[in-house]
Amino acid sequence: MTTSQGTRPSTEETTRTAYAALVREAASGDHDAMERLLVRAQEVAYRFSLLVCGHPEDAEDVMQDALLKTYQYVNRITEPEAFRTWLYTTVRNACLMRRRRRVGEPSRLISVEQGIPSSEGANTPVDVPDDAPLADQQMIDGAFDVRVRQALQTLPPSSRAIVVMREMEGLSTRDVATVLGISEANVKTRLHRARELLRRRLERV
Amino acid sequence: MTESASLECTALLANISAYLDGELDRVACAAIEQHCAVCPRCAAVVEGLRHTIGLCRDVGTAPLPEPVRARARESVRRLLDADKRAPSD
Repeated sequence: MTTSQGTRPSTEETTRTAYAALVREAASGDHDAMERLLVRAQEVAYRFSLLVCGHPEDAEDVMQDALLKTYQYVNRITEPEAFRTWLYTTVRNACLMRRRRRVGEPSRLISVEQGIPSSEGANTPVDVPDDAPLADQQMIDGAFDVRVRQALQTLPPSSRAIVVMREMEGLSTRDVATVLGISEANVKTRLHRARELLRRRLERV
Repeated sequence: MTESASLECTALLANISAYLDGELDRVACAAIEQHCAVCPRCAAVVEGLRHTIGLCRDVGTAPLPEPVRARARESVRRLLDADKRAPSD
């Protein structure tokens, strides 16, 4: 018997089922369902890219990538229940590609996964430059809590991805493990550390 | 803080994410709640983590900026229109 403190297992299952139903409808030729699915895929892509990678310009490109790949994928899908993990895997890969292509990206010099050793014990991740035009930046700041986004950027990218998928997007631990290709135990350990780091950062603000 | 209290705090903090995620049984939850009732430091950590998780979830449920959503809808329309116009095999 478990108690519910903050988890949303039923929500996770409901969301997975809702995605699968939408994918089935879209694949069967329902035009409205296809439109809703494609918009949703782009929203996932934008949010993930912006929050994990921190580059609004890349987020727009990752949206386009998610749009085209989802459209191609839906027409040959065999397992609608796996759509959500497929989508996040696809979006994450697109983000990684963008990061590799980015000219002047600090990861060319220093591993962003490793970061820079800090006096607090944990590594300080490489700072991601913010390249959004002012209007876009204001729009983003108005939509997403700046304190949380800034605190997120202090986490290593792999932990950031876990926080975004688990806390913000509501994926289950199992689904996050599938997307990242790591064990569920590893997801839980990293999430625990990331939550603690975020708590400390946010308490300082 | 005594050494035993410190050990108890360490044990509690190791399980705190599982507690917040509702993965612990009632006995384990009760042990954490009883400890927090007499340990303000751990209680503050638990509340801080709960608040942090709440802030993250708020970001996750915030709607995208309207211009971004409009661009997404427009991209979808263009793609579906282009597909309609494409000659079928």
